Amino acid sequence: MGFDFLQNKLLFLDGAMGTVLQQRGLTPGGLPELLNLTDPQLLSSIYCEYIDAGSQVVYANTFGANSLKLAKAGHTVDEVISAAISIAKDAAAGRAMVALDIGPLGQLLEPMGSLTFEQAYDLFREIAEAGAKAGADLAVIETMTDLYEAKAALLAVKENTDLPVFVTMSFEQNGRTFTGCTAASMARTLEGLGADAIGLNCSLGPDLLVPILKELCENTRLPVIAKPNAGLPDPVSGHYDMGPEDFAQALLPCLEAGVTIFGGCCGTSPDYIRQLRKVLDGKQPVPRHYDAAAFVCTPVTPCRLDGVRVIGERVNPTGKKRFQQALLENDLDYILDVAVQQEDAGADILDVNVGFPGVDEVAMLPRVVKKIQSAVSLPLQLDSSNPAALEAGLRVYNGKAAVNSVNGEPEVLERILPIVKKYGASVVGLTLDKGGIPQTAEGRVAIARRILDAALSYGIPKEDLWIDCLTLTVSAQQEQAVETLKAVYTVRHELGLQTVLGVSNISFGLPNRILLTQNFLIQAMYAGLTLPIINPNQKEMMDAVSAFRVLSGEDMQCQDYVARFAGDSSPTASVKQDNLTLDDAIIRGLKADAARLAGIALQTEDELALVEGHLIPALDRVGEGYEQGKVFLPQLLSAAQAAQAVFEVIRTSIAEKGGTPVKKGAMVIATVQGDIHDIGKNIVKTVLENYGYDVLDLGRDVVPEAIVKAVRERKIRLVGLSALMTTTLPAMEETIKQLQQLPTPPVIVVGGAVVTPEYASTMGADYYAKDARQAVDVARKVLG
Amino acid sequence: MKADLNEILRYLGAEQASEELRLKVAAVSDRLTEAIQPRFTYKVCPLLLENGQLSIPMAEITLKSRTAKRMLAQCDQVILLACTLGAAFETMLRAEQARDMGNAAILNACGSALVEAGCDAAEQELKARFPGRFLTDRFSPGYGDLPLSLQPAICSTLDVQRRLGIYLTDSCLMIPSKSVTALIGLSDTPQMARIRGCAYCSMQKTCTLHKGGKHCGI
Repeated sequence: MGFDFLQNKLLFLDGAMGTVLQQRGLTPGGLPELLNLTDPQLLSSIYCEYIDAGSQVVYANTFGANSLKLAKAGHTVDEVISAAISIAKDAAAGRAMVALDIGPLGQLLEPMGSLTFEQAYDLFREIAEAGAKAGADLAVIETMTDLYEAKAALLAVKENTDLPVFVTMSFEQNGRTFTGCTAASMARTLEGLGADAIGLNCSLGPDLLVPILKELCENTRLPVIAKPNAGLPDPVSGHYDMGPEDFAQALLPCLEAGVTIFGGCCGTSPDYIRQLRKVLDGKQPVPRHYDAAAFVCTPVTPCRLDGVRVIGERVNPTGKKRFQQALLENDLDYILDVAVQQEDAGADILDVNVGFPGVDEVAMLPRVVKKIQSAVSLPLQLDSSNPAALEAGLRVYNGKAAVNSVNGEPEVLERILPIVKKYGASVVGLTLDKGGIPQTAEGRVAIARRILDAALSYGIPKEDLWIDCLTLTVSAQQEQAVETLKAVYTVRHELGLQTVLGVSNISFGLPNRILLTQNFLIQAMYAGLTLPIINPNQKEMMDAVSAFRVLSGEDMQCQDYVARFAGDSSPTASVKQDNLTLDDAIIRGLKADAARLAGIALQTEDELALVEGHLIPALDRVGEGYEQGKVFLPQLLSAAQAAQAVFEVIRTSIAEKGGTPVKKGAMVIATVQGDIHDIGKNIVKTVLENYGYDVLDLGRDVVPEAIVKAVRERKIRLVGLSALMTTTLPAMEETIKQLQQLPTPPVIVVGGAVVTPEYASTMGADYYAKDARQAVDVARKVLG
Repeated sequence: MKADLNEILRYLGAEQASEELRLKVAAVSDRLTEAIQPRFTYKVCPLLLENGQLSIPMAEITLKSRTAKRMLAQCDQVILLACTLGAAFETMLRAEQARDMGNAAILNACGSALVEAGCDAAEQELKARFPGRFLTDRFSPGYGDLPLSLQPAICSTLDVQRRLGIYLTDSCLMIPSKSVTALIGLSDTPQMARIRGCAYCSMQKTCTLHKGGKHCGI
């Protein structure tokens, strides 16, 4: 069944199921999906009432029919969904279409919760397959507040069925979902992934949804759905405050905004649908304006490309020994830190490249994407030539990403463009092919045109193609700088495409590289470069971008420029604190100074002496102050992080020399199964790492078996376990029991809010640590 | 809504903080309140006392706890309240942990205090809504002998997943972590203050939750 007619006609959905069932006696806590097995008559009568009132689509009673919820009731997804669809189809008897209704799973996905994207996908796949088998006419994914969960559900429906699929999410009055997703990010992401219609349901009445619906309509070419609540519920009576007539009238501004698919959510009933048909019947869809801008995003950060946007280049192992070491050691915290620094320096998009000999890119790229997205809100550009790695990365990416890159070779285009299309990404096209890089601007533009034709043939819209005209080193091929600039001009102004350049290549092999790179950057932006790939930590580059945005008129009233430079007294700001020692810098938590002084100290001392002679004594002094109540937790942690900065200097120094890292022995740390509060564990980890211990952090909500496995495989001698709530203490006890059954059991230290010394010894732990400081004492006793 | 600075410092175990640290904490708190405001929802439910058995029929809850019986002795209605800083706080805290653990610890304490401020605001709204009626102090599952196992019933009665984006794990923990559920009695007679926050709690000196910058939600 197709929905082509949706473009020029209105479509009417049904109203609430849940609140109607409650009106007919279902208690709020019960599982309404079980009614499919126990009271088909009741459901059938509700469907019939909706169809009689004018619904053209009824949602089958399958909103919460997932195996997480049904397992507790002892029923299978297949059983419940096939019953539900069959009841709805019998009631509809061809008068209306029947939708498989897919609601949220009821558990939060990573990084907030512990359900992985892959687990969510599998749960949705089971639902989608059951719905298709039972004969649903379409699938509706609704009431989503997490774009990541909506993506998992949409992929599961699209990859396992042929059903058309609608996706609606719930927004708050501030224009965002609970997880912070904007309407623009939702629209761009879901359209890219191939939804057939998108919109809003639940949360608010129609009047309050209008501004959000407008934003949605500007950001998608798809039909837009409004299925609002009957206003807001009264906290005393529980009644929604909008009657059928007011509700229907309030939908008219939604029609004006561009909505073509209408229905109701909580608090509505067949009467509302009848009124809604009365008011909307005979009305025509209102012409819409789509904003065809280039766009990438994460849920919380929409990035519309309407000026110069900086792509940070630092997440890349090329020529960086420390980064290579981090990749080989699986040290994702280091990689995250590189990403965070670029966000703080003002990058708009981050390039992510993890290709290095000895690294399995297909496994590593999705892991790094998840890690970065757990703490950085910028859109990412996945940088690889390996199609399997790109697909794995795009699959778990939350939002609309970019891919770097394809080129003019037909085989490359054939391999990569279908993946770009499937996941709705943007893509960078390099102007080279089998014949190499053309030496003239015209030659490069010709390749750009070929890539554009190929992209369009795969259904990738023009705005999603970004062209890289390639920077060549000016000291080797001096005449090429001008050719690159000419090509950028033509691609931007004649082809109308976004343009990318890796800028810093220009200055290899010459002195004062920064000056040359900055000049080339400015000229390229003037020629039409919109997406410079640069190191945002280089102040000169970001200064040039900031100044350019003023001169191009993009930075309205020079606001960003003023914010960047007002009060800047940089020539005098760097007053040298000559009498500041390394130990003082650590104790006072002065990260940058500590790193600088460590660099100086390394000129006269070796790495080990630095650790033993400065770092640890300084941390000890802070630790003693903490024990005596003179230093408080934030200061203890700031000192630990200054120590971390020193460690980073030491690690880089060792990596450059190719030596082995300074590490004092390894331990495993984890928050036990069922416990999702992990800041306490993270605090302990920060402090231990800065005493030089190699801390293998297994994360939170960790099953005992995973801890046992890590201990066995890595021959770990010390394990730290944390639990915050009384409900998770049994999991701690079980973990200890399993660890002690190992042939050589590790030493176990436990901590966390509810753990007491007495309980620790009852459970069989070797040590109790009340805080990070005591954990260090234990580590010293056990690991030295 | 704004968190109380002294309360934040108490959560950090840093009542004796230097002026420098106080300013730092105040700055983090300002940044938090600028970015995130607590959201809450509540439902007013009839309270039933039958044969010495106290229950909230609307939520299918039977209250066996002595604390609940003591708190609600003179009440005919009980308000179920949920308040949260939402997922945005979790994101902010994760990002801060990746940047600076010291600031993250401060932010964590600010979050605890801000969600309390949200509960206070909800109480103010309730007082205005029911003139002539009196509210008991609020108390939460996990306090005294009021069991955490009440959480699923409270959460589903308030429909917190849909209304506030609060999820409950199998171990009855709420995500986002800065979320509170509470009971507040409604009575025709003035109610004495029995509990209110860590400052008035008998466990204040020994509570490890309190020492770690966290709190139990009352």
